[in-house]
Amino acid sequence: MSFLQILLQLAGGVGYTIMVTVACSLTGVVVGLGVAMLSRIGPPWLRGLLGAFTFIFRAVPVLVLLFIVFFGLPNAGLRVPPLVAMMLSLGVIAGAYLAEVFRGAFDSVDASEVLAAEAMGLSRFQILRLIEIPQMLRFAVPGMINEFTTVLKYSPFAYTVGIPDVMKEAMSLSATTLRGVEIYLAVGIIYFLIYKLLVTGVWALEKRTRIPGLTG
Amino acid sequence: MASFLALMLEYWPQVLSGLGNTLLLAAVISVTGLAGGVVVFYLAISGGPLRRRLTEGYISFFIGTPLIVLLFLMYYGLPQWGLKLTPFTVAVIGFTLNVAAYNARYLMTAFRGLDPDELQAARAQGFSDLQVFQLVILPQVMRLSVPALTNQVILNLKDSSIAFLIQYAEFFAQMQDLAIRSFRFLDAYLVAGAVYLALVSVVVVAARWLERRYVLPGVRRAR
Amino acid sequence: MTLLSVQDLKLEYDGRIILDGVSFDLAQGELKVIMGPSGSGKSTLLRCLNRLATPTGGRVVFEGRDVLGPGVDERALRQRIGFVFQNFALYRHLTALQNVTLALRHLRRMPAAEADERALRQLARMDMQAHAHKYPAQLSGGQKQRVAIARALAMDPAVLFFDEPTSALDPLMSREVVNILHQLRDERVSMLCVTHDLYLARAAGGRVMFLDEGRIHAEGEVDELFGPNADPRVRAFFHQELRQAQTAPPIDVAQPMDQAQPAGPSGPAGLAER
Repeated sequence: MSFLQILLQLAGGVGYTIMVTVACSLTGVVVGLGVAMLSRIGPPWLRGLLGAFTFIFRAVPVLVLLFIVFFGLPNAGLRVPPLVAMMLSLGVIAGAYLAEVFRGAFDSVDASEVLAAEAMGLSRFQILRLIEIPQMLRFAVPGMINEFTTVLKYSPFAYTVGIPDVMKEAMSLSATTLRGVEIYLAVGIIYFLIYKLLVTGVWALEKRTRIPGLTG
Repeated sequence: MASFLALMLEYWPQVLSGLGNTLLLAAVISVTGLAGGVVVFYLAISGGPLRRRLTEGYISFFIGTPLIVLLFLMYYGLPQWGLKLTPFTVAVIGFTLNVAAYNARYLMTAFRGLDPDELQAARAQGFSDLQVFQLVILPQVMRLSVPALTNQVILNLKDSSIAFLIQYAEFFAQMQDLAIRSFRFLDAYLVAGAVYLALVSVVVVAARWLERRYVLPGVRRAR
Repeated sequence: MTLLSVQDLKLEYDGRIILDGVSFDLAQGELKVIMGPSGSGKSTLLRCLNRLATPTGGRVVFEGRDVLGPGVDERALRQRIGFVFQNFALYRHLTALQNVTLALRHLRRMPAAEADERALRQLARMDMQAHAHKYPAQLSGGQKQRVAIARALAMDPAVLFFDEPTSALDPLMSREVVNILHQLRDERVSMLCVTHDLYLARAAGGRVMFLDEGRIHAEGEVDELFGPNADPRVRAFFHQELRQAQTAPPIDVAQPMDQAQPAGPSGPAGLAER
């Protein structure tokens, strides 16, 4: 089996890798946005609770949380499919980190603009939707890229819950062909390529939606 | 839960040894990763363009590749070439390569915030390039990078659990063992999570203290 | 005795001629001012003399030796020259005292106690001994300037170079710098001062050279240069500077002189917290 053939065989798992990465990233954005927004406009006791949430989910290792969800919950009678388990672990943890990113990005929005909007008579939700979020998302781009690439680099854990991603393909290939070094080298190259693609892709998107003078 | 905790107590030597191994690994790679990071940082900002380009490539590759792939390559791949390394050795080498790249990146970010006039003044005083690095660059970038570097230590602590996948007998591996014995998976993993939470909290407190001590008046912080 | 002799110094960069054959001498104990508009190559000229910049032609003889040739120990050369930067360039992670002792301890290998004592003497010479344990961010512009000069003097250099010493200061503090230059001149310190500040050039009291477009167009005593027979280029520069000075906002003499500057704004955006 040539190196190229190894690459092609592994490529079969790329689809699952990307699926896991995208699913967990989206979960992270949803959770992160929710936490950041509620923190911003909610009562103080909620802010405290959400602070505890982000602290806890940034303190627990991804692997441990994944095992809690996939192997632990059945003890309590709750069985989740592998992808959902990934989303509830890696995704939620990404959400906790993104909540911090979004919090910082919200703080970067000019307070006087919010004041002006209040003076115009807009409601708190409208201000959030029309003024704060559009700006905040653009400020948060570097932090989001950081977090998405992190999600990509933890996605190989999916093999432990049976998802046939690149990692799983590599392990079965390694067992049958005994060409471990080349295989994992190929895996590294594949992940690195996906990483590069992801980063350039998001930056290209950012460039399209850039507002002159905001982040320039 | 109570019966699981009783089991944990029964197997306390194992659990303690696992905890020790976790802390050992985290501590070792934090040190080697920081030392490595400083070296890589030095290589990235000095010397000719070829050396800088190669160093940037190293940093980019090890930041863009999952740690677990590197560990598997060394632990499951190398034996097929006749090189069998212990899980601890593999973990230390793999983590160090990875962590050094991240630390170098943090230091480089801080470096961009330095005043170039200070560096020129140091050269004008007659200091060698190594002395400028030692006396002016490094003290400043280290202080500026304290938040990022301590964050990395916390990450090292959490990521040590990955070594479980290459059969290193750290804390999570021990908890996994107890889980299988007792079939109380949820209890076991929840306890594991709580322990990591406690450990991380300790490091966070230490990190805040460090930050407060090393902020100089007027030295700007890279967040 | 001639301390420094610059002969036909040339520097070309990126197709542009920055220095076009500059020649002058500096005698021991002498103070000379190089004056000229921004972009005339003044700062580059200074940096050629301690090899922070590389000239493309000419000779520089310092303390009897050709310093532009091969095999010259740059670091040894630089230790003989005290360089005071426009923006002071104090090491911001070190106190004033530590700024001054750094070179003494790591270049001269002086023991800590001796270095501290020497540094305090230099700081006292600049009237800054009371601020020895402050960080640069806690000092005003004028105070930083004095620490920078003390730092340059600590190594007992053969000459002091000043790169635009008053550009980062307000007019009141500029007067202080002139006083310092007079003080050092009385102590027979050799000095070369580069500036576009007309007031400084006149008040410093040494011979003045006018540099424009990489060449020296006039050299002489202050009165010659600004008198009725002045070079037309000098006159044009003089008029422009004067006009600028007249349109500048008036100095509020009621304001206290040494006001500590506030700490700078928060730093560059780093990595997102992980």
